[in-house]
Amino acid sequence: MLEEILTSYYAAIVDTDRSRALAVVHDAVAHGASPEEIVFHVVVPAIERTMQTISEAGDVNLAQHFMGSQIGAQVVEEMIPLFSTKPEMAGRIVLGTAAGDFHGLGKRIVAGCLKARMIDVLDLGLNVPAERFVDEAVAAGAQVIGISSMMVHTATSEHGARKVRHILRERKLEARLRIIVGGAAYRWDHDLYKTVEADAWAENGILAGEVVGALIREVLP
Amino acid sequence: MTTGMDRLAAAVTGGSSDRIPVFCNLLDQGARELGMPLREYYASGEHVAEAQLRMREKYGYDNVWSLFYVGKEAELLGPARIAFATDGPPNVEAFPLTTVEDIPCLVVPTDLRSHPAFEEPLRCLQILRREVGGRYPICAYITASMTLPAILLGMESWMELLLNGPTPLRDELLTKCSDFFRVEIAAYRDAGADILLYSNPFGSTDFLPMKLIEELSLPWMVRDLEPGGVAGVVYYCGSSRLNAVIPKVLARTGIAAYYLSPLDDLVEARRLVGDKVVLAGVINDIPLIGWPPECVREEVRRIVAAGMLGGRFLFGTLVMPLAIPEHNIRALLEAAFEFGRRDGGGGR
Repeated sequence: MLEEILTSYYAAIVDTDRSRALAVVHDAVAHGASPEEIVFHVVVPAIERTMQTISEAGDVNLAQHFMGSQIGAQVVEEMIPLFSTKPEMAGRIVLGTAAGDFHGLGKRIVAGCLKARMIDVLDLGLNVPAERFVDEAVAAGAQVIGISSMMVHTATSEHGARKVRHILRERKLEARLRIIVGGAAYRWDHDLYKTVEADAWAENGILAGEVVGALIREVLP
Repeated sequence: MTTGMDRLAAAVTGGSSDRIPVFCNLLDQGARELGMPLREYYASGEHVAEAQLRMREKYGYDNVWSLFYVGKEAELLGPARIAFATDGPPNVEAFPLTTVEDIPCLVVPTDLRSHPAFEEPLRCLQILRREVGGRYPICAYITASMTLPAILLGMESWMELLLNGPTPLRDELLTKCSDFFRVEIAAYRDAGADILLYSNPFGSTDFLPMKLIEELSLPWMVRDLEPGGVAGVVYYCGSSRLNAVIPKVLARTGIAAYYLSPLDDLVEARRLVGDKVVLAGVINDIPLIGWPPECVREEVRRIVAAGMLGGRFLFGTLVMPLAIPEHNIRALLEAAFEFGRRDGGGGR
């Protein structure tokens, strides 16, 4: 039964059909699927199937990414309060676009993908100063700071990821906080994340889930 | 002396010239050329025109741009706030439409010639036309109706509206954007633009599934282009791939020139369209910030060699970030000139 639900849900994501995807989930719950089964046997495997499609065919488009992440996040947020026991979240990230960058779509896709993987996301919005990234991460007890840049100059700027690294170093926070970067600028130069002194980068929201998960595990005791 | 227009004409007709056309989009570099901040530079059509002319003369490539920055189109349709950086292109900080509820209030200008936000681009075009018209192609950048909402509403809101509706509001916005496109392309043609780069990332399968491209993007493209035709129009999807859509765009619109993504396979593109259309092979120029010149040269050689196999080819750049050092701009162009020679260049 769960395999059929997953197939129907994934087909709706591929067709960028939010109402059909949600109807599949709600219908499954009405017919006895548990909230835990929906998250761990439908939403997360759908993300993994998308990842497989990307790696095998390179063939998932922005609309599917966007819809998949938004629907996945919505379903997880809807299901978690219905879990029989309070679930343990995988970790926490603060996420925003670099100073001077006003392009939020990529960040939103990543946020959706991370939420769908049970990672707490604190979205700081657009044009986030480096100091705020660090202050909010510390206040929220996050393990990872995520910085999105669509434009090359906001990626390489002295006010973006580099400054976040500088502050982490200065405040001796590097052992407990990792930096991940992403966005169009990094997709066109796969070594750019090293130039800006980030710990890692991810090409898309789906892969970001994997990478952020690994960074969290590096930091958590 | 062979001009850029001669080279372009040879590429379009399949005729002969000394080398392939080499198109380069140095934009923000103009401010550096004139020694002024970007905000001051982009405030004047005279500045932009002067820098375009100087840079074309200095480097020897084949085109000039009337484009200021992409957000300029947002300023033509409402009160947009533009954020100017010191080290990169301006971008739209506050969009003309705050929410989708503003769509009914959006007013499309019927004539750009008297529009205050078009005064400086028009001045730039007039200078370019006077100085190099007929000798070097003057390029204009015009956003397709399917993509323009992204700079009026923002990408997130446009994606929401496009995929989730409400459909009547989506179609009202698309109709207004298409009406604006028709006005804008006519204004650029009247002002002397030769090449009209038709920018439509939402017409790439990197953005939308093919089903949506067939149901939405293609019909809106047909509507955009219907009154003025496709003369001088070059299809472009930003950095997104075109190969999968080229045959359909060609069949539905008749556009005869395609500015590929660096991720598109040039040989595959040629196989898809045959020898009747012009293809631009485009370099991923972002790594040029840090590459040694020999890597730049090798990448140019690879692209030119693949492109020249099929004829009707030009070499182009993508975004040319301001941080690319001067020696790599020169390495890029010198390699394109050398390998693009018709008498034994060809990347060999």
